[in-house]
Amino acid sequence: MSLQPFFEWMGGLRFSAFFLESVWPTPIVQCIHLVSVAVFVGALLLVDLRLLGQGLKETPLPQVARAAEPWLFGSFVVLVVTGIPQMSSTALKQYYSPFFWWKMEMLLLGVILTVTIRRKMASTEESQLGPVWPKVVALTSIALWTSVTIGARLIGLLS
Amino acid sequence: MLRALFEWVDVMPSSISLRESLNGYVYLLTAHVVSMGLVAGIIGYWDMRLAGMALKWVPVSKVKSGLFPWMYAGVAVNAFTGFLMLYSQPMRYYPNFWFWLKMGLLVVVAANAAYFHLSIEKTVDEWEHDPVAPFKARLAGYVSLVFWVGVITTGRMTAYSGLVPQWWIDLGLG
Ligand code: HEM
Repeated sequence: MSLQPFFEWMGGLRFSAFFLESVWPTPIVQCIHLVSVAVFVGALLLVDLRLLGQGLKETPLPQVARAAEPWLFGSFVVLVVTGIPQMSSTALKQYYSPFFWWKMEMLLLGVILTVTIRRKMASTEESQLGPVWPKVVALTSIALWTSVTIGARLIGLLS
Repeated sequence: MLRALFEWVDVMPSSISLRESLNGYVYLLTAHVVSMGLVAGIIGYWDMRLAGMALKWVPVSKVKSGLFPWMYAGVAVNAFTGFLMLYSQPMRYYPNFWFWLKMGLLVVVAANAAYFHLSIEKTVDEWEHDPVAPFKARLAGYVSLVFWVGVITTGRMTAYSGLVPQWWIDLGLG
């Protein structure tokens, strides 16, 4: 099943035309997207660094995770909300961009990791985790989200 | 005078070869955005700790000692890639309103941080366990947050060199 009809439909929406025909909405949405990237990456790193035995190492892991979670979740919602108009107003460019699909695949894997293993791990007593797995999860998480960011920027630069 | 400096860099062989390299700008901007996440992400939580918005139960000095080394690593990459982009296309940035506004906002965040570290932070031992920091520290946190949002925003807007106030265009820098 090809998603092309879906992207064509999205690109044809009045909503998409609005962003293409007006001057400020697109840059404003892009700015909010980018500020949210910073908040998201910060929340991510608080926990990933902690899993690596770095960062806020004297604070218990579950406490760091609890502090980061609302920001991680909140900024993600903003990223989705500000990502959608950017995607729909340039739907076919996105559809034909390998970097867009790369970003979305890494994003999907990142979300799955974050809400399953990583979340469970971050709420577990550290002594039960052992020395290796927390580091594997943290490095995987950092690698996935860095890939999302790189893929995203390359859409604009190379597609 | 500034213009002369930018024009001088513009014709330097190293600037020209970076400018004309196939993917130099792509690598630089991508690394710049990734390291921005590291820098602004971490500073954001430091500011939010000071402002009383996050990490309230973590002592201020622990937030600093745990996170600042990573932030500095990010600053190194971020400043280096930013400088190289400027170096490779000085005459693209010279007439750019958003670029100069971003530089101005960076001066403000730097001055705010310097003031904090040289004054309010001197007494950090007395209040670092308080979930809500003293007013001056909270203020420094809020100021930093607001101006960092400005830095990111003007950084993104640099791509929109035509979307600027009329008076700037009237200056005729381009
Ligand atoms: C479902 C959620 C998301 C959607 C639909 C989405 C969509 C988009 C789109 C369409 C662009 C513009 C690409 C272009 O044409 O230049 C973009 C840019 C970008 N996105 Fe996302 N995004 C989402 C989530 C995220 C997340 C979670 C991150 C990072 C952790 C992220 C990081 C970025 C970055 C760094 C840029 C480039 C910034 C810029 O220069 O404007 N996005 N996004």
